[in-house]
Amino acid sequence: MKREGAGIREIDAGRVRALLRSRAHLAPTAMDGLVPGRAGMPTGLLSRPPEAEGGCGVTGFACTIPVGGKHIYEPSIQMRNRGNGKGGGIAACGLVPEDLGVSRRVLEEDYILQVALLDPGARGEVEAAFIEPYFDIDHGGLIPTVDDFRDVPLLDVRPPDVARYFVRLKPSVLSRFAEEKKLGAAGLSEREVEDEFVFQNSIALNNRYYASLGDKRAFVLSHARNLIILKIVGFAEAAVQYYRMPDTRAHVWIAHQRFPTKGRVWHPGGAHPFIGMNEALVHNGDFANYHSVSEYLAARDIYPQFLTDTEVSVLLFDLWNRVYRYPMEYIIEALAPTTELDFDRLPAEKQRIYRQIQAAHIHASPDGPWFFIIARSLAETGEFQLMGITDTAMLRPQVFALQEGEVSIGLICSEKQAIDATLASLSGEDPRFTPVADLYWNARGGSHADGGAFLLTVSPADGHGWPSAGTGRDAHGNTVPADGHGWPSAGTGRDAHGNTVPAGGHGWPSAGTGRDAHGNTVPAEGPYRLRVANKFGKAVSTVPDQRHCDLSAPPVAPPRADEDTAAIERCAREGDSNGFFAHLMTRLPVMDFDALRWFVDRWADRTAAEAPAVGVEALTLCMDRRYPTGDKKRSSLLAILRGGLERIFERQPLCDGERTGTHVRVTWETRDRLRGPRPGETTLLIDARGFPPEGGECDAELAVKAYRAGWRRLVHYNTRGTRFHGVGLGPGTAALRIDCYDNPGDYLGSGMDGLEIRVHGNAQDQLCQISKRGKLVVYGDVGQTFLYGAKGGEAYVLGNAAGRPMINAVGSPRVVINGTALDFLAESFMAGSPHDGGGFAVVNGLQYDLHGRLLPLELPYPGGNLLSLASGGAIYIRDPHRTLVDEQLNGGAYRPLSAADWRLILPYLEENERLFGIRIDRDLLTVDGSLRPPQAVYRKVVPRKDAEAESEMEGQGE
Amino acid sequence: MRTFPEPAEVSREVRPAPPRYRNEIGKYGIHRSSRCVDCGRCVETCRYGVHVRPEGYLHVMRPYDYRCIGPDCKDTGICCIEACPRGALKLSANPVSETMGDHRWTPDLLLSTWAMAETGRPPGTHLESEVGASGGGFDRLRFRFPDSPPAGLRREDISTRLPLNRRGDSRPRITIDVPWYGGGMSFGSTNIRALLGKARVAKAFNGFTCTGEGGYPERFIPYRDHVITQVATGLFGVREETIQRAPIVEFKYAQGAKPGLGGHLLGDKNTPSVAAMRETVAGVSLFSPFPFHSVYSVEDHKKHLDWIAHVNPRALLSAKVSTPGDVDMVAVGVYYAGGHILHLDGSYGGTGAAPNVAKKNIAMPIEYAIGRVHRFLEAEGIRDRITVIASGGIRTPADAAKAIALGADGCVIGTAELVALGCIRCTACESGRGCARGIATTDDALLELIDVEWCTQRLVNLYAAWRHALVELLYRLGLDSVSALRGRTDLLTHLDYDDEA
Repeated sequence: MKREGAGIREIDAGRVRALLRSRAHLAPTAMDGLVPGRAGMPTGLLSRPPEAEGGCGVTGFACTIPVGGKHIYEPSIQMRNRGNGKGGGIAACGLVPEDLGVSRRVLEEDYILQVALLDPGARGEVEAAFIEPYFDIDHGGLIPTVDDFRDVPLLDVRPPDVARYFVRLKPSVLSRFAEEKKLGAAGLSEREVEDEFVFQNSIALNNRYYASLGDKRAFVLSHARNLIILKIVGFAEAAVQYYRMPDTRAHVWIAHQRFPTKGRVWHPGGAHPFIGMNEALVHNGDFANYHSVSEYLAARDIYPQFLTDTEVSVLLFDLWNRVYRYPMEYIIEALAPTTELDFDRLPAEKQRIYRQIQAAHIHASPDGPWFFIIARSLAETGEFQLMGITDTAMLRPQVFALQEGEVSIGLICSEKQAIDATLASLSGEDPRFTPVADLYWNARGGSHADGGAFLLTVSPADGHGWPSAGTGRDAHGNTVPADGHGWPSAGTGRDAHGNTVPAGGHGWPSAGTGRDAHGNTVPAEGPYRLRVANKFGKAVSTVPDQRHCDLSAPPVAPPRADEDTAAIERCAREGDSNGFFAHLMTRLPVMDFDALRWFVDRWADRTAAEAPAVGVEALTLCMDRRYPTGDKKRSSLLAILRGGLERIFERQPLCDGERTGTHVRVTWETRDRLRGPRPGETTLLIDARGFPPEGGECDAELAVKAYRAGWRRLVHYNTRGTRFHGVGLGPGTAALRIDCYDNPGDYLGSGMDGLEIRVHGNAQDQLCQISKRGKLVVYGDVGQTFLYGAKGGEAYVLGNAAGRPMINAVGSPRVVINGTALDFLAESFMAGSPHDGGGFAVVNGLQYDLHGRLLPLELPYPGGNLLSLASGGAIYIRDPHRTLVDEQLNGGAYRPLSAADWRLILPYLEENERLFGIRIDRDLLTVDGSLRPPQAVYRKVVPRKDAEAESEMEGQGE
Repeated sequence: MRTFPEPAEVSREVRPAPPRYRNEIGKYGIHRSSRCVDCGRCVETCRYGVHVRPEGYLHVMRPYDYRCIGPDCKDTGICCIEACPRGALKLSANPVSETMGDHRWTPDLLLSTWAMAETGRPPGTHLESEVGASGGGFDRLRFRFPDSPPAGLRREDISTRLPLNRRGDSRPRITIDVPWYGGGMSFGSTNIRALLGKARVAKAFNGFTCTGEGGYPERFIPYRDHVITQVATGLFGVREETIQRAPIVEFKYAQGAKPGLGGHLLGDKNTPSVAAMRETVAGVSLFSPFPFHSVYSVEDHKKHLDWIAHVNPRALLSAKVSTPGDVDMVAVGVYYAGGHILHLDGSYGGTGAAPNVAKKNIAMPIEYAIGRVHRFLEAEGIRDRITVIASGGIRTPADAAKAIALGADGCVIGTAELVALGCIRCTACESGRGCARGIATTDDALLELIDVEWCTQRLVNLYAAWRHALVELLYRLGLDSVSALRGRTDLLTHLDYDDEA
């Protein structure tokens, strides 16, 4: 990894020149001469990608153990509504040799050339022209598929046959190529020359059989080492099914649901992922400057063949990676330039370099909304990498997540629900996964803080400073055979070439894990490690000494169980959910996971029949609040508490039965028999499993029916990205309260007029658009364009808001955000004066760390465009150290907090305290250990004209 | 329910709706000199109502010269100048008329629209009522008529109806009686009385008007079945109940007159009533962003449509888009996201509030966009599953027919309606409180310049005259319905390429 940290001055101009010159013959016009009768690509095609598409759903994960393709299946299904079934694809990286029927040496050394045969008859020609003359084929053939594509649901177009070849370049071809193209002389290693040949060969193949033809016959899907791509006309998950990959294992998976706007698609050439050299890229968004990027590439003799902006993205990546040999940080900078205030906040040396990068490559920087997920095989180091990069303006949704433990996994998705679907799928198969991630976060595009990009790297544990215990060498130079259920006690082996041989089996060595004296699982040193870092190399990690819970083990009663039983009894009898919470807080430090599970289950059993309301309320409180969890991972704690809730929910009577109670449940199966509440019934539980995410049959629609039938308390649970919760209920809904658990989706609360919605966890994008009255409480983060165009209402957010919260809001929305917002907070805010009934936001700039401690963020608001172009309203920011600067404004002004301001916001902070336990004195007004007056802690931002008016008033008063 | 000053029922009947001003602007001036002896010969001669002597009066009134058709009546025996025994009358061109409008909306087009709005009949032949003088666009397109229409075709059998829902889904199959409807103008930009006139003519002709982005005035409620609720990028005044009440919800993604720009209502125009409707604060300038901040891609767009579809399960969904270079992709995207109506807004439209630099330079001309989208949708095999509506500079029934022949199903008109109400195209709409004609204003005093009944009748007359002209045109083309005209580019010729055709 000597390239890490390399400066721009180290770029080898000779190498760049030689590589680019070697490609001169690949220009479509030059190809005319090579292939008689072939028309060159009309230059008009450069003007825009004919395969126009907008956004899509993207998902990916990287894991320390290889897992089956079926686990990319669930998140793909979750994001079907981000595609239209006209293009889907997957990539798998870090494969397992026996799944592909080759030796480990072949898997690691060879290129896996995969050719999609749109015309099955083209196979012989392709082999004769582009494979057999150049390559030694270690293994090859058509990959297996299901017999009849119509057996795969929602698959209307037969996917192409795919020929897969494990190849190495013939030594004679290699030396000739190196010599002819002067690549050896330019200092390229043999492997680099071989890479370049493979790359160019695929371009030539595509040109012959795809790009230049009226009837397209074949194209290269991928040609990387230890990475494969498959794509189809259909939804991504169908690729897994059709090519029979549910049990094919890999460390890194990515998937893409495409939404091409062109309707008649008969082949998957335009679908994602696209291959670079050893990386596969999926993309959500589109560029405004495809033409400019294409020209930039054409100047370097690189010509798109599939005519989508995704393809040019991966070509850019490969250019900067393999030709210019930029370190990853610079590649990211070239893609998503750091600008404005963020640029100013960079160290001087970085500014100098970034300025040069921008000057050289700005014309190739994709302009417009985009989000890339890239899977990479770092074949030379045996590492696998997953990365997510967002555009500077953060115009596409993106969520990152991390779970660390005995096995570790990092995930990147368009929507959080897809992350949770992946984890649910994995934890269902392997108890070492937990259904909740330890950490969820968003990247801030083009920022000085994280650069809008995170790299998730899976590395062999040895050879990289990791403990080498549990690894060994295989003297045979071949794959260490998996024994069906585990790994030989050696754990990992090394082949004759000294390459690491990672885990291959399904399970984990029994020797490696165990249970400690308390019956908790203890982590074992695995053969692979996952490390997560942002653009600048700063690590993201969880607390190392916290552990996950093995949910598959039986719960065990703790010592002093009778005390717990008594507490349960008392709290249940008295309806004292706060008492339950208080008891849990005292017992949590001494209880182990199994005892905790026993305790939660007992509580659920005790309350399910007689007092479900208090049962639910108490467990919800324990989930909503943040507190120190000691050596326990909060994600495991949440899984346990949520399990207790489910235990209560599932015992409530169904709406179609005779049995009744305060709580009544409706499911997908019983939805047609939904009825109004009978006497004594207060709450309708809507189990969202099985409901589609939108449309007339979705659970949000059922909620509208339930409201009309007379229900006034609704609970949505097991939601998986269902959209439009709390929407469509019409005006005047003040009597209604909706609680959402798990993963409620986009647009929640949009248009709400009176009702109260509580989201117990993170929420997604576009919440409370045009909301008018009512109250939203989110016990977590909210996504993009929160409260866009809102007219009023109250909102309380425990965590952060992503980009553009409160944009274009008018009237009187009042919001407390305890974390921060990424950018464009309250842009074009047009509220009235806060002291005259108008709207405002309070931003506290706090966060809970992984220990459950509430700490101030480094900057209470890191972005720019604070109250930009606003004509009314105000923002109150907790900024005791005066970190906010004028450069963050655009038409606004800072003002000191007045006594009237404090009186105005105090009731909202008091409600905030009640909801989240964030205390005004202890948490908000205490700075560096001492209690300060509000005006020393909070600052106000108002439109400049209001600030001027305020100054004048003060002047008159004096 | 509240009662409203105007009756909810609206008749389609044509009745005279004279101008609001005693001396309306006309193309010609008739000057009566002191030689006049009030003999009344002119009153007896003129058929156009220029000369009037009220019953029981001795004097002939000052000529209503805006009605004069000019020298065309010379030598026909009905010419007042020739008829005057004293030589007291003099005809001249009215220099005021020449100062109105621009090359696209020529004085003749303004005057002919006024004439239609007054009478409900075709304007006189002394006016060039079909094309402007822009030198391009619809002004260079002409129909090729067959020598004679097919025998057996009767004007009364010609259908001008337009179905709006072609998806074949569970939502209502709305059909309108004429292939155009009224475009969105916001409460705030335009006099409520003019807006009510638009709503009432929509009811009379079983068509639609659109709220624009300023909210849904309560006074629209009696016409709710004919009012489209617009969801625009500022989301001003959009509420669930206004979405739920609308038979059609229109998403305004962009406006052809100013793609890439949002609306901007200056603080002066944001009066207390406007602010209340938009749920904002009076006097604060209001801007709509470009684009929708929640929509940056086609799957966001689908989600956006799904949202409204969820709020109102019976509404048709219309997406108003401008005409960028990839308008064909946008069109297909609208269909696949669930849209019923694709509303293409070209660059010729826009009131005075759209900046000139935008109006003249950004979007693709509508006549190019229509054909491109039509052919692309046909190639996709979905042309008959979505209704394509063209707007942006549809000034006359001839323009509408040309747009349909190019491939649209129908049109949306905006400026033409305002012209019918007396707009002189001074293009200072954004100044708001200063509209000399009381149309683009929210000023309490200026509002009084027009009343709802008059607005209604002017628009009813205009619609009747347009329909008459359209039927006449279809008759001459030998087509029995307006849908038969769609995509018939073979019936068009372009003057610049006439020889090649």
